[in-house]
Amino acid sequence: MMRRVLLALTAVVSAVPAWTAAPSGGTDGARAALVAAGEQWWARSPDPRNPVACATCHHDPALTRGWAASFPKFKPLPPPDGRVMTLLQATAEAVRRHYGLADPEPVAVAVAAFLDRQGAGLALSPGVAAGQPVFEMRLRALAASVARGRTLYVKRCGDCHDAEAVAAAALAFPRVVGNRAESLERFLERHRPIGRRLSWDSPATADLIAFLVSTLAGPRTGVEASTDAGAPARDSAWRVP
Amino acid sequence: MIRTLVVALFSWLIAIGHPLPAAGATAITGTVKNKAGQPLPGLALLEKGEIHNNRWDRGALVDASGRFRIELSDGGQYGLHVYSDGHIYNPLAVKVETGKTLEVEIVLVPEPTRANDPLIKGFRSEKRSGKVTSVKLEVTDPNGDLGPQVLAFNAATGRAFAMDPPRRVWSLKSNYPEGVYQLEVNTSKAPLEPRDWHFVVADHQCNTTDILSFPHEPKPPRVIGQ
Repeated sequence: MMRRVLLALTAVVSAVPAWTAAPSGGTDGARAALVAAGEQWWARSPDPRNPVACATCHHDPALTRGWAASFPKFKPLPPPDGRVMTLLQATAEAVRRHYGLADPEPVAVAVAAFLDRQGAGLALSPGVAAGQPVFEMRLRALAASVARGRTLYVKRCGDCHDAEAVAAAALAFPRVVGNRAESLERFLERHRPIGRRLSWDSPATADLIAFLVSTLAGPRTGVEASTDAGAPARDSAWRVP
Repeated sequence: MIRTLVVALFSWLIAIGHPLPAAGATAITGTVKNKAGQPLPGLALLEKGEIHNNRWDRGALVDASGRFRIELSDGGQYGLHVYSDGHIYNPLAVKVETGKTLEVEIVLVPEPTRANDPLIKGFRSEKRSGKVTSVKLEVTDPNGDLGPQVLAFNAATGRAFAMDPPRRVWSLKSNYPEGVYQLEVNTSKAPLEPRDWHFVVADHQCNTTDILSFPHEPKPPRVIGQ
């Protein structure tokens, strides 16, 4: 088992920046490798001319630990682009801007997996990150996103799927299929589209996921994350050996 | 009876010119340091409202002991941006309660290279009329991703400003042009005092110039040791 993990890890690290081309080991090994690749991307910029990496500024793990559990949430991009985003979407936006990657998705999936793992054990707290102030306007934006997501879910998904079951299953993402990591956002984009296709990085996809996460977090939507809250944890699928 | 006494006491205090107990000031104070805990001087500027909205409001110089204090007219949401020479600027969304002082601690990290930093090539002011003086800043950027943070700060008034770009930019997320940025200052009551003005520029990737203060002669940027 340990050998499999090491092999997968070695394959992934040597394949950086092309994680998706790396062969994966078993499920646990592939996940561990994805997290390891994400940690590499977090710590090192792919652009030798601009060595500022995520970790250059966000160097204190205590301050970033609560990030994953706090998504989806309102990201204050310059107006009018501020909106509710998933962890993957927010990470992709940052990766595109700071690392200058034309296709930020593979790197963002890995970095988001690393952040997920870093927040292991924290209960879901959409909209609120530990140690950061709570802004009413942002929580109102999140509530509106959840409401839109509910409408969207009923229209697109509700005929076949129970929302709570889907929400619980959503925690298993990102998952590894074959030798590729697949995000929940990308899965929703590809899954039996009814009506217009939802792009993985669209506001509508964030709304849908905000609704699903809110069914798990319940009244914790907008409440600071803690380890003793008893709510489902964001990292349910990420208990990496 | 008690009410009469209280009213009489307040009337007497007012009559003798004794100030009534004031409500607490609304302010942000803070300490700026590096990872080793050493204080850093610089500039702390505030956007009023949601962070990154580019509505610049107040500011303060950060002194040699790394301390700053910004007095506010009212509480609410602000975007605090802290700058120090050779360091990546730090943006922080904060919430200040009216009548209270928010204390923050900012840790800045050095820029590993200055090769991507915007450059302030020069400063000049031109009197345009009896009432207006135009402050001009020539800005370039080696990697072409200037953002809206071409900022001016007047230490005498505590006001911070985004300077106008050489041509109209439609989105705050766009890359802003190189060229001469300007700010029109009302000088109807007093002439422009160059010593009061400080400037700083940051691009979309947080690469940040040194703070340009009087005599406003740009120096080559240097990398600060880790």
